[in-house]
Amino acid sequence: MSSRTSFYTALTYAAGLLFLAVFIGPILWFLALAIRPAETAFAMPPQLTFEPTFDAFRHILLDPGTNAPQLVNSLIVAIGAVLLNLPFSVPAAYALSRFKLRGKKNIMLWYLGLLMAPPIAFLIPYFVLINRIGLQGSYFSMVLVLQTLTIPFSVWLMKSFIDEVPAELEEAARVDGARWYTIMWRITLPIVRPGIIVTSMFAFVFAWNNAAFPLVLSSRATATLPIGTLGYFATSGVTWNYIAAAAVLAMIPPMIIFLVFDRYVVRGLTFGSVKG
Amino acid sequence: MHTATIASPQALAPVRKSFVRRNLPYLLIAPSVIMLLALIAYPLLFALKSSFYFWNLQVGPQPLAFVGFDNYVQALNAFDFRAALTNTLILSVLGTAIEFGLGLAIALVLLQALPGMNVVRALLILPTTIAPIVVGFLFRYLYDPGGGLVTWVLQSLALPIPAEGILGSPSTALAAILFVDIWQWTPFFAIVLYASLLAVPDEIIEAARLDRASAWTILMRIKLPLIRRTAIIIVMLRFMQIFNTFDTVLVLTRGGPGTSTRTLGYSLYEQGLVNFNVGLVSAQTWITVLIVNVIVALYVFFAFRNEEW
Repeated sequence: MSSRTSFYTALTYAAGLLFLAVFIGPILWFLALAIRPAETAFAMPPQLTFEPTFDAFRHILLDPGTNAPQLVNSLIVAIGAVLLNLPFSVPAAYALSRFKLRGKKNIMLWYLGLLMAPPIAFLIPYFVLINRIGLQGSYFSMVLVLQTLTIPFSVWLMKSFIDEVPAELEEAARVDGARWYTIMWRITLPIVRPGIIVTSMFAFVFAWNNAAFPLVLSSRATATLPIGTLGYFATSGVTWNYIAAAAVLAMIPPMIIFLVFDRYVVRGLTFGSVKG
Repeated sequence: MHTATIASPQALAPVRKSFVRRNLPYLLIAPSVIMLLALIAYPLLFALKSSFYFWNLQVGPQPLAFVGFDNYVQALNAFDFRAALTNTLILSVLGTAIEFGLGLAIALVLLQALPGMNVVRALLILPTTIAPIVVGFLFRYLYDPGGGLVTWVLQSLALPIPAEGILGSPSTALAAILFVDIWQWTPFFAIVLYASLLAVPDEIIEAARLDRASAWTILMRIKLPLIRRTAIIIVMLRFMQIFNTFDTVLVLTRGGPGTSTRTLGYSLYEQGLVNFNVGLVSAQTWITVLIVNVIVALYVFFAFRNEEW
């Protein structure tokens, strides 16, 4: 190996370490805040070593457990949003993948356009509507309006998975006289089950990370984790250790999903446009 | 062929497919489209109607008076509208451009494919997975004027820091918010661009290399044009996401100091959910929706013009 090559190798590794320091460092620093003694939170210069304590987690989860119900609420809303979205997005993705139809490009772009709509613009009307039909503060209200995100996202991502199932499989079944719903239900969907699971996982992250809708539609009893955490800023004297502990809880599920489904991350982030 | 046509039984009595079978694709798409239409048409029509009334929930539960276009005039003339529009455009344009540039640079480093760099690639995506509102909490801690890590790093580098703190000064607050977005979303560009560049076939690159094309030429003339479609989609997505941002601003600065970090999204939030001025916020909603639609339409027209679907 020439010295020139080894120089570039060293430079590349140095760059890699720099990336980690810049992009992962702040996350670790916040994690440290959740487990460090409160009085060292704003020490100058910053204290790298400390006696770790789980007091903040105990406080937010067990005693008095301020954020424990919010963690459950976040799960209910995100899982609910994914489950409700499936019966709408699976057939649509199947149709857009398998059939020739007029205006396919426009339909796909319309779904994409919804993902780019300003959610905040819809908040006030939703707030008034949900109050009128008496659903204020309910889980269902949040699950329902989250469909504006989960359905378009799932249609795009799932279509990309269905596109990969060879058409010959369906042809063979059709020749054997199978009806379209048998083909969809018994042949194609079982094959794309992994794709449906991946899609559901990323849709879960989408719903889990959404703060705009719960901000307006949740009540004290149904507040999700980020909204509950926001409450700490309203009280006098911001309790940073609790905020960090609650925020870490909110960070964990998406991070696990992204690391476990690493292979599909690019695909998920680009709604299936890049196979990755 | 004349006789054949007449004789053909199919031509006289075409095979009747059932209604369901004929419209199958549309019937399968319909539930999702109806659901989505219901969820977006109601808010838009509601906002359209309300925008012509004086209606403040703090004053009364019902609209008080028909005021014509007053709400629109008021929204466009509001002290903060121009500032909010400018800030929003600055954040969206600079944010998207810087994230794309830095992301591309990182992608090229990752493409060196040195052993162990796979771990860097896998971990790099983590900032993007965090909810924007939680990233807001994180950076409020890092920017703290008393003992935040960013403050400390800047101090250690002997860089000037405003006495009011990074988020407290009109000269740095917007840049601070821009930095938060860059921190969270540069990895997104890096990972996506890395994956798409990786998919560019080696033979094409080899051929160019034999023609003695420089690495820079190969990147600009061959690789980037090949991943054009991906680039178009992620740039548009990101631009619109930044354009619609309000939760990071809500946590970090509440649009202040003054109007220095006010964005269109945050203005809507404040008029609607702090002041409960339904009439005014409805007018703002329609103005925002129109701006967004114009941007998306222009973008789709120019960017997708030559794309096959």
